Amino acid sequence: MSNHAASGGAAAAAGLTGTRTSRAAEAAGRGVVNFSLGLLILAAFWWLGGYLIAMNPKTQSFAGFGLVQTLQSFPELWNLGKLQKAIAASMYRLGGGLVIAIIIGVPIGIIMGRSKRFRDLSNSAFQFLRMISPLSWMPIAVFVFKAWDDSIIFLIAIASVWPVMFSTAAGLSKVDPAWFKVARNLGATTIQMLTRIILPAISFDIFTGIRLALGVAWVVLVPAELLGVTSGLGYAIKDARETLSYDHLTAMVLTIGVIGYSLDTICALLIKRFSWHRGDA
Amino acid sequence: MSQNTAIAGGNAATAAVRQSRSSAAFNGTVYWAWNFFGGLAVLFALWWLAIYVTTLNPAMSHFASFGPGSAFKEIGHLWSNGLIPKALQTSGARLGAGLAIAIAIGVPIGILIGRSRRFRELSNSPFQLMRMISPLSWEPIAVIVFAGWDQAIVFLIAIAAVWPVMFSTAAGLSKVDPAWFKVARNLGAKPWHVVTQIIIPAIAFDVLTGIRLALGVSWIVLVPAEFLGVTSGFGYTIEDARESLEYEKLMAMLLVIGAFGYLLDTACLALIKRYSWHK
Repeated sequence: MSNHAASGGAAAAAGLTGTRTSRAAEAAGRGVVNFSLGLLILAAFWWLGGYLIAMNPKTQSFAGFGLVQTLQSFPELWNLGKLQKAIAASMYRLGGGLVIAIIIGVPIGIIMGRSKRFRDLSNSAFQFLRMISPLSWMPIAVFVFKAWDDSIIFLIAIASVWPVMFSTAAGLSKVDPAWFKVARNLGATTIQMLTRIILPAISFDIFTGIRLALGVAWVVLVPAELLGVTSGLGYAIKDARETLSYDHLTAMVLTIGVIGYSLDTICALLIKRFSWHRGDA
Repeated sequence: MSQNTAIAGGNAATAAVRQSRSSAAFNGTVYWAWNFFGGLAVLFALWWLAIYVTTLNPAMSHFASFGPGSAFKEIGHLWSNGLIPKALQTSGARLGAGLAIAIAIGVPIGILIGRSRRFRELSNSPFQLMRMISPLSWEPIAVIVFAGWDQAIVFLIAIAAVWPVMFSTAAGLSKVDPAWFKVARNLGAKPWHVVTQIIIPAIAFDVLTGIRLALGVSWIVLVPAEFLGVTSGFGYTIEDARESLEYEKLMAMLLVIGAFGYLLDTACLALIKRYSWHK
C-alpha cells in the first residue's frame, strides 16, 4: 500500500518535472522564435532598402550595400583569408587592451572601495582623465610607442580601464563590512581576505565592468584601426571603401556587429554565472 | 519677563544650531574642495614629474613640450586667438544635435519596449546586433548618404548615443508600478495624460541616466569622427596639432576636452540627482 503511494508520489514528481522541463523548453522555444524572427525582420528591411537602391538608376552603383550581395561576399572574403586575418588582428588588440585594463583597473578599484581617503582624493583626477576622449590620446600614443599595434592596445586599455575600475569600487562598497570583521576574527591573512572574500564578492561587479569596458573598447577599436595599420576590422572597412567594394564594406560591418553581439552575450552569461545577489538572476 | 528670556534663549539656541549646521556644510564644502583640487594637483604633479624625468635623458629632450607648464600657457594663447571657443562651439553643436536626435528617437522607442512585451522580445536581437556595430564603422556609409561632413558626424553621434537612451528608458519603465496605470485609467486619464502625468515624471531619472551614458559614448565618438574631412572641432584641432608637431597645443586641447567633458558629465549628474524620486 505504502509502495503504491510512493510510486504515485514518484509519478507526480515525474509529472512535475515533466511540466517544468516542458515549460523551460517552451520559454527557450519562444526565445529562439523571437530571436530569429527579430533578425529576419531586420534582414527584410535591409533587403528592401537594397532593392530600392538597386532599382533607382541614380543610386545603382551602390547596389553592393544590399543584403544579397553582402551575404554573397562572405565566402569570397573567407577564401581570400581577409575575414580571418582581420578578426585575428582585431581580437589580439582587443584582448591585449582589455587584459591591461583589468590588471590596472581591478586593483585600483579595490583600493578605491576600501579606502575612503583614496576615493575622495582620486575622484576629480580620475573623472577628468575618464572624460578625455580616448582617441585624443592617439597622437601621444603614436609618439610614445614604436609599433601601431601597441598604440592601439594602449588606446583600448585607456578607454576600458574606467568602467572596470569604477564597477570594482562600486561592488566593493556594497560588501557587508561585517564580513571583513568576521574574517579578521577568524584569523584571515590579507591574501586570504582578498581571495576568499573580496574577489568572490565582487566578481559579479568586475564582470559587469568588463562588459561595459568591452562596449567602450569596441567603439574605440574601429577608429583606432582606421589610422596607420594595415590589418584588422577597421582597416578592412577603410580598404573596402577605398576600393569601392561596397559589398565587402557591409559584410565587414555585419561581421563587427555579430562578433560584438557574441562577445557581449558571453559577458552577460558570465555575469549571470557569478551573480550571488538575490533577484539578479 | 521669563517668557521673554525663554524666547531669547530659544532664538539663541536656533541661531547656534543654524550656525553649527551651516558650519558643517561649510566643512563639507572645504573637504570637497580640498579633495577636488588636491586630486588634480597630484595628477598635474605626476604629469610634470614624468616629463621632467623623461627629459633628463638628452635623447628624449623633445618631450619637453608635452609638459603641463607649456600646455597651460598654450590654453591662454589658444583661448585669446579664438581657437578654443570656436572648437567648443562647433564640437558642441555636433554633440548637441547628435544627442537631440538620439533622445528624440530613443525615448519613444524605449517607452514602446517598456510597455509592449511583444515588441521588446521581437526587437531585442536586431537592436542588440545594431548596438554592437561599432559606431565609427558606419562612417563610410554616412559619408555616402549625407552630403555634408557635419551631418555625417551628427549621424555617427546619434547612432552611438541612441542605444543607452533607449535601453535606459525601457528599463526605467519596467520598474514603474503597473497599478499606477490602472489608477490613472480608472480616474479617466487619456493616453496623452498617461504619458505626460505618469510615464515622463516616473522615468525622467532613467532617461537622464541614459543621456549621461550616451554623453560618454558620444564624447568618445566625436573626436575620431572629426579626424576626417572636417576642418573644425576638437578632433580636427588635435589632428592638426599632431601634423604641425605643436605638442603643447596637443596637450592643451587634451586638457580642454577633459575639462569640458567633466563639466558636461557633472551637469548630467546634477540633473539625475534633481529628478531622482527613488529612495
